[in-house]
Amino acid sequence: MSPADPPVVSNRPLWRLALRRLLRRPLQYLLCILGIALGVAMLVSIDLASGSAQRAFALSTDAITGRTTHRIVAIAPAGVASDDYVAFRRAFPSVAAAPVLEGYARARELDNQLLRLVGVDLFAEAPFRDTLGDSGELGQGFVPFLTRPATGVIAAETAQQHGIAAGDSLHLDLAGRPAVLQVVGTVASDSAVERRSLADLLLLDLSTAQELLATPDHVGHIDLLVERPETLEAIGQWLPPGLRLEPAEARRNAVQQMTAAFNLNLTAMSLLAMVVGIFLIYNTVTFSVVQRRDLFGVLRCLGVTRGQLFSLILGEAALFSLVGSLLGLALGVLLGRSIVGLITQTINDFYFVVSVRQISLSGWSLAKGLLVGMASALLASAIPAWEAMATPPQLALKRSSLEGGWRRLLPWFLLAAALTIGLGLLLLLWRSSSLIPAFAGLFALLMGAALLMPPAVAAVMAALAWLLRGQGVVARLAPRDILRSLSRTAIAVAALMVAVSVIVGISIMIGSFRGTVVTWLDQTLQADVFVSPPTTTANRVIGRVDPEIVAALHHRSDLSAVVTYDNIDVRLPEYDKEVTMIAAGGDVSGGKRPYAWIRPDLGDPWQAMEDHRGVIISEALYLRERGDRIPETLAIETPQGVRSFDVLAVFYDYSSDRGTLLIDAGLAEELWGPTGVASLGLFVAPGGDADALAAELRSSFSDRQDLLIQTNRALRQGSLEIFDRTFAITGALQLLTVLVAFVGIFSTLMSLQLERGREFAVLRATGMTPRQLGRLTLLETGLMGGMAGLCAMPLGFVLAWVLVHVINVRSFGWTLRIALEPHYFWQSLLIAVGAALLAAVFPALRLGSTNISTALRQE
Amino acid sequence: MPLPPASPPAQAPEPAAAAIQLRNLSKWYREGEEERWVLRQVDLDLPAGEFVVLLGQSGSGKSTLLNLIGGIDEPSTGQVTIGGVTITELDEQARTLYRRDRIGFIFQFFNLIPTLSVLENVTLPGELAGRSFRELQAPALAMLERVGLADRAGAMPDRLSGGQQQRVAIARALVHDPVLLLADEPTGNLDEHTGEVVLELLIELTRRQGRTLIMATHNAAIADRADRVLRVHEGHLVAERPTLAAQAA
Repeated sequence: MSPADPPVVSNRPLWRLALRRLLRRPLQYLLCILGIALGVAMLVSIDLASGSAQRAFALSTDAITGRTTHRIVAIAPAGVASDDYVAFRRAFPSVAAAPVLEGYARARELDNQLLRLVGVDLFAEAPFRDTLGDSGELGQGFVPFLTRPATGVIAAETAQQHGIAAGDSLHLDLAGRPAVLQVVGTVASDSAVERRSLADLLLLDLSTAQELLATPDHVGHIDLLVERPETLEAIGQWLPPGLRLEPAEARRNAVQQMTAAFNLNLTAMSLLAMVVGIFLIYNTVTFSVVQRRDLFGVLRCLGVTRGQLFSLILGEAALFSLVGSLLGLALGVLLGRSIVGLITQTINDFYFVVSVRQISLSGWSLAKGLLVGMASALLASAIPAWEAMATPPQLALKRSSLEGGWRRLLPWFLLAAALTIGLGLLLLLWRSSSLIPAFAGLFALLMGAALLMPPAVAAVMAALAWLLRGQGVVARLAPRDILRSLSRTAIAVAALMVAVSVIVGISIMIGSFRGTVVTWLDQTLQADVFVSPPTTTANRVIGRVDPEIVAALHHRSDLSAVVTYDNIDVRLPEYDKEVTMIAAGGDVSGGKRPYAWIRPDLGDPWQAMEDHRGVIISEALYLRERGDRIPETLAIETPQGVRSFDVLAVFYDYSSDRGTLLIDAGLAEELWGPTGVASLGLFVAPGGDADALAAELRSSFSDRQDLLIQTNRALRQGSLEIFDRTFAITGALQLLTVLVAFVGIFSTLMSLQLERGREFAVLRATGMTPRQLGRLTLLETGLMGGMAGLCAMPLGFVLAWVLVHVINVRSFGWTLRIALEPHYFWQSLLIAVGAALLAAVFPALRLGSTNISTALRQE
Repeated sequence: MPLPPASPPAQAPEPAAAAIQLRNLSKWYREGEEERWVLRQVDLDLPAGEFVVLLGQSGSGKSTLLNLIGGIDEPSTGQVTIGGVTITELDEQARTLYRRDRIGFIFQFFNLIPTLSVLENVTLPGELAGRSFRELQAPALAMLERVGLADRAGAMPDRLSGGQQQRVAIARALVHDPVLLLADEPTGNLDEHTGEVVLELLIELTRRQGRTLIMATHNAAIADRADRVLRVHEGHLVAERPTLAAQAA
């Protein structure tokens, strides 16, 4: 080799060594791979499941939107008057326009599948939607579709799936009202994406839709195809009061905005599991480095470069993180399939109606999971790889010097913890409406607490060692052993503490939330019987109660009061969002509703509202955008233009995070026109029986409309069931986080115990029985678990506080009362100690049966 | 090195030494399809109170023989009987308790417990037997006195030199009055002078009380001090000769 030649460096022998080690300690690597896989699986499953719901909605919306560029929509709930459509065609004969009327129905023959019912004018369709516009698709069905009432078309795939043929009837449930429709044809598409978008559609002629949805003189909106800005301007000027022109994508954006906080919360939860996973990866890689320090020393003596060692460690990490991440992707898809139902249910309960039958595999979601899994592993491996690189080329450096180095670092850990916690607090105090700084602050607090662990473990174990100095040898050994292996034990305690604090924090948050909701329901729902059409959503009613039923209820003598509610979506220009306006005819709380704020010098806000002096708003309406600055007035878009209303009070509303405002039904009718009644609250006259009344109403109205008639108790119970259903996904995520943590703790403690095989063998040779050794192992891990559990309690409380007072407020605009119950804390201690003890069982059994002479030969 | 006077035993004395019988003792390991023999059909009778040296090259099977006698390894075939107790017939628990109460081990690499102080390392066997530290403190200190380390009782092992650590290991091995002492290359990790001092101490403490001492070594010079020398070669006990000490006696 000439001096100019680059030195020959081969990593092949190093890789052979790595492979041998992998074969000798497969369990250690398997657990690490499992930890990464679980973390990635959580991330991917959440992303796939919520993405699938979003995509299903978008596809279904896109199928209806087609090539539409703009829409004319009505501000009043009744929709766009048919006359306005006719007037538009006359005013703009050259602009492509198509009326659309939408609703939802369940079809008995399709296993009660929820269908998106779309009424169109077939002659106007061609420029907008290929599938609907091409009448050739309908084949023989074209004529009856146009000429015969009560006919419809469904997707060919759906028809085939349920054995529906042309001429078959569909029995529909339209918000409790029955209707029968004849299928006269099917639509199909060669594109798989388009087929999915069509799967839930029921296409009707506009007149059929108007009849079914009981809106004979109105359409939902008018689709337009407009390219030129001057035409748009002209249309804008032409628009009569009560109509608004909006871009076609506005609706999809609004839906995305609606669920953004919900999705971000789920993602943050899954990232939390990844953080626990990062601890685990760091642990495993650190262990593999510490265990091989002597080997690295020898290799350095033999001429292995620092760079080679660094790339060896990172290469190993990259390899097992790749395997773990790929496994995680597969697990994530499986898990996503299981949780998509939970997520879809919550989206249906709170946001929009969507039906997802399968998850759509998004390449981006999978790539993201792979990227996060691998990046986390490489990041976590960088520090131990650096340490391996710094191994001096000699054998003299012993474990004791490594641990000595760690002890010298303790003050720096304190400093780093203080800085990280400080940063977290600053991020949380930052008055931003964005969730990102809030979550970043939360993660910083968790990291800060984890950084506090090495000094805390050192201090506590030193104190315990002193306190136990007079006890038996097993009791004396345990804290000293933990102290001696601080570089590993402190990380294990920190990882367990973070995981358990997440359990405590989320338990407190859910418990507080549930407690708050129970109290809120108790105070708000005072009527004895509630009547509404059956609905697919939990927080608003789609459909109206038959006016004759409403009238009949008003005339009953056995009721002391009848309260009516209707919900209308209204736009708030100042906030650039739509909220739910409840037109209230009476107070369902009977005056017991608690208020978060009442305008000063105003006695009874409800009375003031009934006197048309303003509106009452929910916290969610302004908290996210304005923080705690309560608006004096509220501008609302009405058919007559934007009107400003005084804000009379702020009420608690945990049924919606988009914001709700209460307005007197009379004033709403005056401004938005007649709407209807979405639900009724009935107060039974003294001496009456609510259960009997509900039963009687059910039987007497069943032939007119299939109504949901619930007693107060049943409604509260149903509300809490929805609450529990909403948090089922959180519970599942929490469980998975525990699983990730457990795998981490198990592998850490196991490695810790197994690497001390020689020391334990000496104890065994000196006469320690397997039982005594088992006690020592359990005591050590129990102490670590106990410390993690104890530290997780205050950290869990802090986590809950941030979740309740910062994250919840910024995500959903809800303020909750924190309710602390002792069981949140002792359960966490039990979980921590239990997980630690369980993790010690295998090493204890294995060490007990290890051949002493073999273990003694280990160097 | 002058030795401090021996203190009286802490408990009512049991027989200070035990006779040892090995019958057809073999040990092999399976390596793939092949069997690797470490010891082959060893038969031996050792009277109580003898000092026996096992000579042999590295890998000859000396340590394995010691481990089998001490019950920290199990033979493939054969029996080990110490003081009338056939320890190869005992279960793991009973064997451990026998070892704890009757046998003392000294290793080449000292093998002190790093998280226990010098004194605690010496009280360890007694504490494992359920006796209190307070009760064991006096005899342990006396033993440390005899190995010349009473002033280092509170120190941690990593603060001691190799020779000092091995003296602590000797104290630990002897403190519970074992009937048999097994030493595996006790001077192998020490310099010549320190090794000589440690050996002197070990022989003095065992011979004075007539304990049975079996020492594995490849230092032939030590053999001259023994009652009997056994040579282990490729798993066989191939040579046996009386030593100068035995002849003198």
